[in-house]
Amino acid sequence: MSLTIYGQQLTSRLLIGSALYPSPQVMKQAILASGSQVVTLSLKRQNPTEQSGQQIWQYLQEIVSQNNGHLLPNTAGCKTAKEAVTLAKMSREIFQTDWLKLEVIGDDYNLQPDPIELLSATEQLLNDGFKVLPYCTDDLVLCQRLYDLGCEVIMPWASPIGTGKGLMNPYNLETIRLRLPQATLIVDAGIGKPSDACLAMEMGYDGVLLNSAVALADNPVLMAKAFAQALQAGEQGYVAGVMQQRQTAHPSTPTLDTPFWHQN
Amino acid sequence: MTIHINGKAYSLGEAEYISVNNALILHFTEPQKTTFAVALNGDFVGKADYDSTVVKSGDSLDVLQPIQGG
Repeated sequence: MSLTIYGQQLTSRLLIGSALYPSPQVMKQAILASGSQVVTLSLKRQNPTEQSGQQIWQYLQEIVSQNNGHLLPNTAGCKTAKEAVTLAKMSREIFQTDWLKLEVIGDDYNLQPDPIELLSATEQLLNDGFKVLPYCTDDLVLCQRLYDLGCEVIMPWASPIGTGKGLMNPYNLETIRLRLPQATLIVDAGIGKPSDACLAMEMGYDGVLLNSAVALADNPVLMAKAFAQALQAGEQGYVAGVMQQRQTAHPSTPTLDTPFWHQN
Repeated sequence: MTIHINGKAYSLGEAEYISVNNALILHFTEPQKTTFAVALNGDFVGKADYDSTVVKSGDSLDVLQPIQGG
């Protein structure tokens, strides 16, 4: 079963970040171990005398070429629609992709997206031919507005970036899934454990985007594999159909012909 | 005139303007060997326009390069 992003079919439902790993080598091993075909990256000012950025860029190119993958540039650090639109255009020129993880941050404390600026940037970028994957809060109406603007993919948060707190508000995420059945929904940010990702998939989400949960694990490569399996388990659980919860206990073992001492 | 590239000031004497291409040589020794994109005063400048786009005194260039991201 595959994930479709703006018409592009992918074998893995995991999207993975390239930051915070202990070393570029571990980054490469972990991303490849995850099976993810979508790798996020960014643009920043860099000291022109240092070559580290160029080396990372070469590593990322090798990774996406090895796993037949795609780069997903983000607009991390942008606080206004204008900043995000400029950074998006710079990313498109460098990375030769119109895919964009759109981030417009409204608060420095919890890195919560600014919904007003996000909608404005989304509209401008869709009109300019970008395939926008907006990172947003788990607000149903905001997600509806993004979908109405033409976003085929919407990425509500599980919890603030880098917290690892997991799905803070499962009800909100379930409601978004219920109300936007046609949208490709990806939980982005705040995932801490493989079980968090599994839960999102059990809700019927189409994918999960994460970074810190793998990069900051004691063993990022092993954790990448764990997440790949968690997503598969969650997806299969959703497709298989979870049983209805019941208020009272029901014996699993047939009660007919139970031994004599239960029959009086 | 004085321009800023990634926040660093460059004084260019009596010149009234320079092209983006010439400004980039102030920043990189070998721009052609580096992967980057440019914004002038917060607006994107495409590679095709580096020669024709003028940087004046007080202008700010941002030269951004790929980096890891989440």
